[in-house]
Amino acid sequence: MSASSSESSSSVASLIGRRLLQLPFIVLAVYTLTFVLAWSVPGNPLENTEGRRPPAEIVEAMKKQYKLDDPVAFYFDYLGKASGVSWALGNHDRPFDLGPSLKQPDWSVNEIIATGLPVSMTLGLTAMVIAVAIGIVAGTIGGLRPGSPLDAFTQLLAIAGISLPSFVIGSALLMLFAVKLGMFPVGGWGGLQYVLLPAFTLSLPFAAYISRLIRFGMIEEMGADHIRTARAKGLPRWKVAFKHALKNAFLPVLSYLGPATAVALTGSFVVEKVFAVPGIGQNFVDGVLGKDITLVMGVVLVYSTMMVVFNLAVDVLYRFIDPRIA
Amino acid sequence: MGCDRYPWWVRLLAPILLLVLALFAAVSLDSPLPPADLVLIERSDCYTLDPQRMSYQHELRRARVIYETLVNLRASDCAIVEGVAKRWEISADLRTYTFHLRSDARWSNGDPVTSADFAYAWRRAILPDTAADYSALYFAISGARAFYNNRTVALAAYAKSPETYHGDARELWRVTEADFAKNVAIETPDPNTLVVHLDAPLAYFLDLCAFPCFAPVHPATVEQFVSFDNTSGRLIQRHDWTKPGRIVTNGAYVPTVWRYKRDMRLEANPYYWDPSRVIAKSVECRTIENPNTGVLSFQSGGGDWLTDLGPEYKTEMLAERKAYLARFSAEINAGLAHGAVADDIVGGLPVPAPGERRDVRGFDAFGTDFFSFNCRTALTGGNANPFHDARVRRAFALTVNKQELIDRVTRLGERVASTLVPPGSIPDYPLVEGIGFDPVRARAELKAAGYDDRDGDGIVENTAGEKFPTVDILYSTASPRYQNLALAMRDMWKRELRVAAECRGKDSKLYKEDLKKGNFMIARGGWYGDYGDPTTWLDLQRAGNGNNDRGYENPEFETRMDAAAAEHDPKTRLAMLAEVEKWLFTEEIPLMPLCNYVTVYMYDPSRLGGIAEHPRLEQDISVLGRRAGVHDGVRGGVRDGDQRNNISPKSTTEPAVR
Repeated sequence: MSASSSESSSSVASLIGRRLLQLPFIVLAVYTLTFVLAWSVPGNPLENTEGRRPPAEIVEAMKKQYKLDDPVAFYFDYLGKASGVSWALGNHDRPFDLGPSLKQPDWSVNEIIATGLPVSMTLGLTAMVIAVAIGIVAGTIGGLRPGSPLDAFTQLLAIAGISLPSFVIGSALLMLFAVKLGMFPVGGWGGLQYVLLPAFTLSLPFAAYISRLIRFGMIEEMGADHIRTARAKGLPRWKVAFKHALKNAFLPVLSYLGPATAVALTGSFVVEKVFAVPGIGQNFVDGVLGKDITLVMGVVLVYSTMMVVFNLAVDVLYRFIDPRIA
Repeated sequence: MGCDRYPWWVRLLAPILLLVLALFAAVSLDSPLPPADLVLIERSDCYTLDPQRMSYQHELRRARVIYETLVNLRASDCAIVEGVAKRWEISADLRTYTFHLRSDARWSNGDPVTSADFAYAWRRAILPDTAADYSALYFAISGARAFYNNRTVALAAYAKSPETYHGDARELWRVTEADFAKNVAIETPDPNTLVVHLDAPLAYFLDLCAFPCFAPVHPATVEQFVSFDNTSGRLIQRHDWTKPGRIVTNGAYVPTVWRYKRDMRLEANPYYWDPSRVIAKSVECRTIENPNTGVLSFQSGGGDWLTDLGPEYKTEMLAERKAYLARFSAEINAGLAHGAVADDIVGGLPVPAPGERRDVRGFDAFGTDFFSFNCRTALTGGNANPFHDARVRRAFALTVNKQELIDRVTRLGERVASTLVPPGSIPDYPLVEGIGFDPVRARAELKAAGYDDRDGDGIVENTAGEKFPTVDILYSTASPRYQNLALAMRDMWKRELRVAAECRGKDSKLYKEDLKKGNFMIARGGWYGDYGDPTTWLDLQRAGNGNNDRGYENPEFETRMDAAAAEHDPKTRLAMLAEVEKWLFTEEIPLMPLCNYVTVYMYDPSRLGGIAEHPRLEQDISVLGRRAGVHDGVRGGVRDGDQRNNISPKSTTEPAVR
């Protein structure tokens, strides 16, 4: 026992080590690709959308200020400051400086991420908790009695959850619960009452997918030999389902949770827009539309780092739940 | 592993439970602010609170109450009234302005506001290092343009060979500072006096002084975040000083909370010299980008004033308002005849019945919607441009039935425009009329330009028999409004003028690129005025103006504009400008004005007072306030019971207010 446990913990350590070594290369590749795409978008981020153009000399001065006249200089300058290399070499006063936002000069990209990311994370993680809860309950109900009316009903809900876009569900929920019933405030952030509606909206497609994974797993597990044995021993059905079947049925959900959580955290901009949640998602979209290149690069850097870390976390968690996987 | 002794579900639930607890803690720490006296719902957050760098309308509106300029623009009538300056003198040659600052003007930290603070802020605005949108507005001040150019040249030279200044940007900065002190005609003989010399008389200089980009900043606070970049020689000005807790302001309010794209809280500035002006002691500005959510929030009592209603709702809601006003037109017209303000009358009427509303109102904005003609001699492909000929431009403008476009396409009841300057927006500026709708004359103009359907194929040709080139109509796809307008006008031109025409929709960025390059024949355009003078509109046609997308160049226009600028008598000058505008829009037609924009606000006049109706549509947040008897809580769209039984017979007269 002690040998196996030290073996597994050393393999976890080597897994973490390997992934962390890969991290900078993955992020650099993402950075370069994003840079090329973002730079090739036409338009000038310093230009006002209302059609007013300052004189050419002022435009030139503005471009120079942000190194927007030279892609190569911008690429390396930004990379150096964002990665902390410039700071380590003593060329810059702080590490991990993602630059000023070109559209919002009062806010550095670091500040925008620092205010928006916790909001998006709270929203995304709450949504995932709701999704797992709904998904397990709905999936187990369906999986234990496949073909029953209850199963058909949960399946129908799951299909609806996957196929209805969140701006439709979000607007409908907003109309019903916030405007008509007045149970929740319309839009904004601050306090639990602001989190529930958007988190529920965001959770639906994930909940639907998880319930399908669980249902399928349960149907398969309940027919397996070890379950039949357990049933033959006289254990009640619910106990077998809960103690033995659900554990194995849950494993595919776990591997889905890593990428899904990353998507929930980063892809919530539609929900953020509908519910006026001041998260990072809508800043990112506005950044892309307005060619706010520093904001786009900064968010992409943080997102890609988070993606790698989340996938790693899930892999570690996987081993933690089922030590057989090494 | 040591955790094997716990069942699998405990091992799974434990991290989830911890997560839920952490989330709960994070959420409950982030509590909402206490209710404010006035709540605004805005479509976008301020990009900056640095007055010298602002350029968006909603920012400038907030700046007007956070900072105070030398003189103020009174929102109700756009008159110039005292601000930080208690009085001012203008020299006989109209080139020197002497401002006497009030001694009780204070910054929000108690420091006195001095003339040096203005000089400091104005220097920042002119410096190319600041990269301010509106630097050019300062170029009327003697020496300002030269100072700007000198600094630009010096920075370029520094970047090439920093060793000239021993690689020390400060050394260059000392030269720049001395240049400003010596050559830019902004003088501060004492802390309460500011003297400015202009190159030439500028009739609207006081109006510029009331523009938020001319507001002072608190030098000691701003300086904390200024550093020097020794590789480029530039002054690096970080904006961290604009954050609540650090920001020092001299206006009616101080921002105390600013959460990015979420909300901003303004509290009355305890040191403001005129506290009686400030009605709401605290103001919350919420940012809700989604227009749908903004309306829902307003209707469920989430705000007193929605400053920009989304396009989806405008037509329907304005029709509901029209129905309401029509019911009470007799009362409204009687009230207006007694000189009452429309909002006060409407706010005192019985509550709207279902299908009616009064909590929405459209105003003619200080902006004009138009379509530009490409006036260049050749098109981007090198082909001859038929629109270089003013007769062709006139023909196309005369063909458009603007009223029909407004009734059937834009449907917001906009005011038809035949010139650029919105009527009534500038005191003493005469009403100018351009050409209107006259298809018969349009065909004659086109014929005079040499285009006629000679071979009877339904398309006009020139004298050489070449077909009129397919008219390329460029619009931006940002809003369906422009596509619909372009399509409707295309059909009008095809039908009346017998030309081939095609619409070309582009994403707003690509549309802008094409505009700049002159890659169009006719293109969608629009303009909002910056200050209260016709030149903010007419300068668009000047050769070399960065916003002259039409490439219009006419020496006669330049001469007449210069002549007007040299005129000392303000009335005569405005009359001269009106003559130029008349000539532009009856003869030259570099662009075809369509209508004045309509800005639609949502607010309930029975609950909110103080919204200004002046055509420049400058709103002063500090004079807005809830009417007596209105408290926090449910407001806005919540209807006070069914009023069906109260409907009086429809009046026969139209109400004299929108």
